[in-house]
Amino acid sequence: MSGPILSDEKTTSTSKRITIDPITRLEGHGKIEIFLDDSGNVANAYWQVPELRGFEAFCIGRSVEDLNKITSRLCGVCPGAHHLCSTKALDGVFNATPPPTAIKLRELFYAAHYVHSHIAHFYALAAADFVLGPCAPAATRNILGVVGAVGVPVGAEVIKHRSYAQKVQEVIGGKATHPVCGLPGGMARVITEDERKKFEAMSKSCVEFAKFTQDIFANVVLKNKDYLDIILNKDIYYQETYNLGTVDKNDKINFYDGTQKMIDPDGNEVARYKDKEYTKYIAEHVLPWSYEKFCYFKPVGWKGLVAGKDSGIYRATPLSRLNVSKGFTTPLAQAEY
Amino acid sequence: MSKIKLAHYWGAGCGGCDVALLDIDEKILGVAEIADIVFWPIAVDGKVKDVEAMPDKSITCTLFNGAVRNSENEHMAKLLRQKSAIVVSFGSCACYGGIPGLGNLTNRKEILELVYTKLPTSDNVERVFPQAETHTKDGDLELPVLYDTVMTLDQVIDVDYYMPGCPPTTNLINEFLGIVTAHVKEGAPLPPKGAMIASQKTLCDECKRKKAVKKIDRIYMPHEIAIDPDKCMLEQGIICLGSSTRAGCGAKCLEGNQPCRGCMGPTAEVLDQGGSMLSALASVYRVEDNEALLSEDNIATLMAQVKDPMGTFYCYTLPKSIIKRKVKEKKQVKKEV
Repeated sequence: MSGPILSDEKTTSTSKRITIDPITRLEGHGKIEIFLDDSGNVANAYWQVPELRGFEAFCIGRSVEDLNKITSRLCGVCPGAHHLCSTKALDGVFNATPPPTAIKLRELFYAAHYVHSHIAHFYALAAADFVLGPCAPAATRNILGVVGAVGVPVGAEVIKHRSYAQKVQEVIGGKATHPVCGLPGGMARVITEDERKKFEAMSKSCVEFAKFTQDIFANVVLKNKDYLDIILNKDIYYQETYNLGTVDKNDKINFYDGTQKMIDPDGNEVARYKDKEYTKYIAEHVLPWSYEKFCYFKPVGWKGLVAGKDSGIYRATPLSRLNVSKGFTTPLAQAEY
Repeated sequence: MSKIKLAHYWGAGCGGCDVALLDIDEKILGVAEIADIVFWPIAVDGKVKDVEAMPDKSITCTLFNGAVRNSENEHMAKLLRQKSAIVVSFGSCACYGGIPGLGNLTNRKEILELVYTKLPTSDNVERVFPQAETHTKDGDLELPVLYDTVMTLDQVIDVDYYMPGCPPTTNLINEFLGIVTAHVKEGAPLPPKGAMIASQKTLCDECKRKKAVKKIDRIYMPHEIAIDPDKCMLEQGIICLGSSTRAGCGAKCLEGNQPCRGCMGPTAEVLDQGGSMLSALASVYRVEDNEALLSEDNIATLMAQVKDPMGTFYCYTLPKSIIKRKVKEKKQVKKEV
């Protein structure tokens, strides 16, 4: 396997505007307009979201019990997250605490969802940039190009393990994409001992596959000095913002439940709140050139699209999850922390 | 053999249909053997300008998922129609409007007012709304126009085949890919135009639960009773759209011990899924044979147990139903920018 292609032939353009439409290899519609100055450097860039479906409006009037099926359609790549989030809201509406078995089933479902979602992201959406490189020919920058580079046997492992994760979700949730399992205070279906044994075998295989994936990332990216020079360059891939993530009572990462922790760009905790208190901490600003709204940390306020401690812009991402927490509760993940 | 060209695009969708194409697992490698994927924003790096540059009818087959909610969705549907020999209406949103089609219970003005000014997190005293054109210091930025009414794909372009489902199941996708592959490799005939790539049966035919032709006295929400996983959902008092819904999904939601919500759309025989389900409910609810004995008030009391009739009977099919949308008041009819 040859290394990623990190530079390409220089071309000359007289245009002072570059339009990227649509942005690709992620869920959702988006485009980027880049404006250049007289010397050809970037003067400004706008990331626009050209879509709005209006869930906020058409959820009004629906049966509350149906909302976890409706809101999963916000995103078909992470429907499990929206389904469970809405299900937890239903627990609150009905004031019904799920029994321990239901919580374990939800956590199992969600862990499987993470495995599917992260394999899809890592191999199908992002790997083209890492494995083939940002300057590889556009026609090859996709999952089929990645399979071509890493070989069909590795591609088959990727497909197999994502399939395992989808299978676990499908058994628990009825469907992997747009599950129906969450009920106020519980879950719709139990799993059998036979199913549990199958899940255990598939999970163990997925852990081995995760280790294999860590090795790929280490070999392709972390051991490649040219690559590190790009991604660690503070002039390119660096922004100092607030960070938000879910942590347990020991400040460790939790995917299913916990409190929301916000830290400032220096790493200091500035807020910690339960889900239902979010309106005290988060607000949404509107700009006329995007249907997407711009969330910000309310106590600091909206200061425009600028980074830093004086601006309320925050991240709520896998990276911020690592930034706000003090590690993982499982040993293999903690070893990588 | 030269490869055929495939495209997969999304209108007002969620990406779940795109994930469904990945869910065919190792068969995606078989697709790569017969086809070049020339445009697929979630997974491949092609741009709109690349599609514009393609000769007319040069894309062998476009799978179009998502409803038509704004001017960009409509433009892309028309562009891909022009460039494609075959267009498949892929998934419930493209075929029937899907969950985003519930937007027809509200309208453009109500959606914009609520989403940008009236939410608990709204910060918009200046009443800024997304604009079709914004003049910035750097240049002009454009956004699509949000439509008042959500449309299905075949309400804006000519469609060759339909594949319903939210999302379409692996079996249906493989069936269609098998047809295309046989056509490409062996010259096998394609289905007649307008064909539905799904079962001709009713979901009840596919459901394993036992039916006893039992009548019901009241309606329950799924969390209100312990659901017997072997018995007909409707006969347990839970509204299940199986009798009014096309088969082909494998009754997955029923396997998950939850009722069918009708994402496969109406059966081959009926035009309006909601009307069909109302009729079925009247029958199982002792209304149909007892009209002489039941007063209007009695019937109204029985039917009032359905908390959200539109969201229940037309959850996925409103834009394609006879009703299509909530009636507009006269003052809202005037065209807005």
